[in-house]
Amino acid sequence: MLKGLIVDDAAIMRMRLREILEPQYTIVAEAEDGDQALQRYREVHPDFVTLDISMPRMDGMTALARLVTEFDNPRIVIVSAVGQQKLVLEAIKLGACDFVVKPFDPERVLKALERVARRVTGCSD
Amino acid sequence: MKAEHANIFVRSAVHVFKKELGIKLTRDSLVRKDKPVPGLPVCIVLGITGNIRGQVVYAVDQSFAMEIAHQMVPNKLPLELKKLVNSAVGEIGNMITGQATIALAGKEQTLQITPPAVFTGREIQVDFLHMPTISMRMLSHAGVLEINIALTEEE
Repeated sequence: MLKGLIVDDAAIMRMRLREILEPQYTIVAEAEDGDQALQRYREVHPDFVTLDISMPRMDGMTALARLVTEFDNPRIVIVSAVGQQKLVLEAIKLGACDFVVKPFDPERVLKALERVARRVTGCSD
Repeated sequence: MKAEHANIFVRSAVHVFKKELGIKLTRDSLVRKDKPVPGLPVCIVLGITGNIRGQVVYAVDQSFAMEIAHQMVPNKLPLELKKLVNSAVGEIGNMITGQATIALAGKEQTLQITPPAVFTGREIQVDFLHMPTISMRMLSHAGVLEINIALTEEE
């Protein structure tokens, strides 16, 4: 089972994402901001990350840039309320696999993770 | 403060409440103020920066805040739910503002949103911006949502 890290400053969103993902994935860690996300990533080496953008201390865009620079091919799905067109393109350009805008349908998040899982396990789309 | 900005927030609030909470919101009254000071005890404050900047303050009463948390995580017990209320209303404020900024920013601009700050009752000690504000009340079967929008746009 693939291991995931959930990054969101809202406890209720971390809980909801965990509920949606846990039947299919193992959530090994959570983080409340970008700085914590980097620490947790170093500790648990997850197969994927769901990353919020608007967070205190270090925001998600900064964390995304740091993760793709510091680690080998991290699989990151942005899950954020801030879905402005320019920002979505910037995130994808930086290396995010997908961008899910809140409020989301659970199926949309699962679809994004399925694509990530196929990449991790080496299966093509 | 442009009225069209207010309409964008109304549409975003209707969309977020319906999609995330299954609650139908309808527009009620609109007043103009000189500060986005809320009239209800649970308030969510977000800042916006960029070519459009200012403050957006949402407010609800305690029972509506509990209902919002309940709709977001329906399987939680009341005691657990109480701990999640601030997180729930903060996230709803974040989603409405996030949706609104998609329309406000368009294709060329980027607007930054500060993470939501939630205050309740007597602990409200916020430096509300002294700016022309549109204050709207939205009605639902579960309670009233107040949206105070104080935004200015660079020429």
